[in-house]
Amino acid sequence: MAGSTFLDSSELVLNMGPQHPSTHGVLRVILKLDGEKVIGTECVIGYLHRGVEKIGENRTYVQFAPYVDRMDYVAAVSNGLGYCLAVEKLLSVEAPPRAQVTRVILTELNRIASHLLWLGTHALDIGAITPLFYTLREREEVLKIFEKYCGARLTTHAFRIGGLQYELYDGFEEDVAKFCDMFLPKVDEYEELLTDNRIWVERLKGVGILTAEQCKAYGVTGPVLRAAGVAWDLRKAQPYSGYEQYDFDIPIRQNGDTFDRYIVRMEEMRQSVRIIRQALERIEPGPIMAKVPKVIKPPVGEVYVSIEAPKGELGYFIVSDGSTQPYRVRVRPPSFVNLQALDQMCRGALVADVVAIIGTIDIVLGEVDR
Amino acid sequence: MADEQKPESSPEPVAGTPGDAKAIPPKPPAASPTSAAKPHAPKAPAVMATTPWESSLTELLKSHFGDSITEFSSYLGQNFLVVRPEAVNAVLEFLKLEADFDYLVDITAVDYPKRAERFDLIYILYSYSRNERIRVKTMIPDGYRPKSATSVHLGADWLEREVFDMFGIEFDGHPHMKRILLPDEWQGHPLRKDYSILDVDRRWVQENLGIEVGQ
Amino acid sequence: MRKLIRTVFLVDLLQGLWVTLRNQHPKHIYTEQYPAQRPKVAERFRGAPRLNINPDTGETLCIGCNLCALACPENLIVVGTERDPKTNRKVLTTFTYDTSRCMFCGLCEDACPVDALELTQDFELASYTREGQIWDRQMLEEGPRPTQYRS
Repeated sequence: MAGSTFLDSSELVLNMGPQHPSTHGVLRVILKLDGEKVIGTECVIGYLHRGVEKIGENRTYVQFAPYVDRMDYVAAVSNGLGYCLAVEKLLSVEAPPRAQVTRVILTELNRIASHLLWLGTHALDIGAITPLFYTLREREEVLKIFEKYCGARLTTHAFRIGGLQYELYDGFEEDVAKFCDMFLPKVDEYEELLTDNRIWVERLKGVGILTAEQCKAYGVTGPVLRAAGVAWDLRKAQPYSGYEQYDFDIPIRQNGDTFDRYIVRMEEMRQSVRIIRQALERIEPGPIMAKVPKVIKPPVGEVYVSIEAPKGELGYFIVSDGSTQPYRVRVRPPSFVNLQALDQMCRGALVADVVAIIGTIDIVLGEVDR
Repeated sequence: MADEQKPESSPEPVAGTPGDAKAIPPKPPAASPTSAAKPHAPKAPAVMATTPWESSLTELLKSHFGDSITEFSSYLGQNFLVVRPEAVNAVLEFLKLEADFDYLVDITAVDYPKRAERFDLIYILYSYSRNERIRVKTMIPDGYRPKSATSVHLGADWLEREVFDMFGIEFDGHPHMKRILLPDEWQGHPLRKDYSILDVDRRWVQENLGIEVGQ
Repeated sequence: MRKLIRTVFLVDLLQGLWVTLRNQHPKHIYTEQYPAQRPKVAERFRGAPRLNINPDTGETLCIGCNLCALACPENLIVVGTERDPKTNRKVLTTFTYDTSRCMFCGLCEDACPVDALELTQDFELASYTREGQIWDRQMLEEGPRPTQYRS
């Protein structure tokens, strides 16, 4: 091979997105390619930036609650729970037991809904169309429960600071129990479709590996961390909203690849059903709202409260200056931090795997960009 | 509509004097302006009711850093320490290596325009092994360039870029200190208190979107 | 050995096909035939706003207290009142509600002390113009009248 031709040093820069169906929103990834191998990526984000944190500084505590639903719109209930817990911490109040149990049920249902949407779209990215129809069908049942409970399906605004606004509707328990009974066999069905499917396995095994050390270094949380073998779940580590009373496992896997993350999420859905079933037995009559003043004016101070959202650790850092409006609201979005590890996961992968890797982090761009 | 702006008087920093006249978002064309400003009763100057925080960790830090750490406090059971800006990286590194605070949860800032050290820079740390969360806080004046924490925690990269984007705090030694959420050519830093909620970079919008601000 | 048999006889493929075949059953059809069949939304659904009228007297229930306008995060409600010189009570004159910016959070409904403002089950709010999204008092009292399509 005498001399080098232009073919030898062919590095190609490829632009993926922002309008790309497999980027789950408006994420733009600039890929640097050597042949079909990815040697570097850069994410360009912010297309969906709405300035949620700035809006928070200009709304009262109560008024800001509907906005947080619009960050991670597939897990709006979790967002609302985190915000309510943070303000409750500032006010030093605690929601009454009935409200807490209801919160647990709704958040776990929301976790299932979020994971279902993830599974459907992730499988669609890989090339399996069928699971999408099934998962959306089951997700519909969850959304119906949300609609019956609080009147909205997606951006629910289900919780209020200090408890709940809405009393459980008649037949809530039956609806949820029916959903649980219906749902567990469906998870097996998805697994039947995917877990042994050789295309699925070939596409996912060994793709996008992120070890436990790398996860910790990047601050990655949620199922991605658990698939790398770290049994860390905020619901167990620092329980909130009465999670310490429930008996459930943290599913973990060791390899930290895309396939393991899939298994972890499937198992998480089963665990969620387990929590919901226990919570259903704990519903007891009582008040649903703690004693919260009509005009919420927390004392001067700052708190950081975080919960285990379907995507990872969702934290709210709120600074109060003693007025009716927060002085500063900072949201620690799990998707944003997890997306940072994309570069690490993509290096050495093929272009087609990038799609799988973006899908497996489970990002919602509304939350990345806020 | 574009000129209908109510400059937001920036709230007092720590003293908590209520002066936050509420900026009114754009009204529907048919609407007559109503005052949404809320009456605030002046009250005694309020500060965060913190309690001192003492543990083996604080002893260790005190012996190691001495005067560099000015305060160990706890508020509502959440511990934080205030560090002089030049020592932040050393403290983060020490906490990571010696005390196992290996997970950098978040970096954020708070703007207090009336204070000499204008910004609070806050690092939230977590330790998997101790199951403990602490905040490292430092106060920096406008224009100060804190050292980037990317050498200690890889995950600081985007978080610092966001702080730069929103507050204009430039981090020294960051591999690529540029905007992350807003477009690269954008002027202004939205989460500063002197940036009203209605402010936008008019020129950028005009040039890139070809529309006037406010529809 | 077992793995080889599974691979040769395409067990994973057949397994998947069996799942899809089971789901072909008509009882699994979930599609809603929307314009032809109108979906039944839940009782608590937060949809189009409505100003309730006292059915006995035909007068509005709204007392013009302005609490909904204060509660609204988007400041999209404008309540116009004037004082009745005889009874010295506030009387509602105008009420504008900008549905184009509404996020249907329900805070106005919660704030209303007399249950006058309500988010109803109507969900068809589309309009050809931006101005059409700004509802005045008459529109709020009568409710939207979407075209009903029949198959």
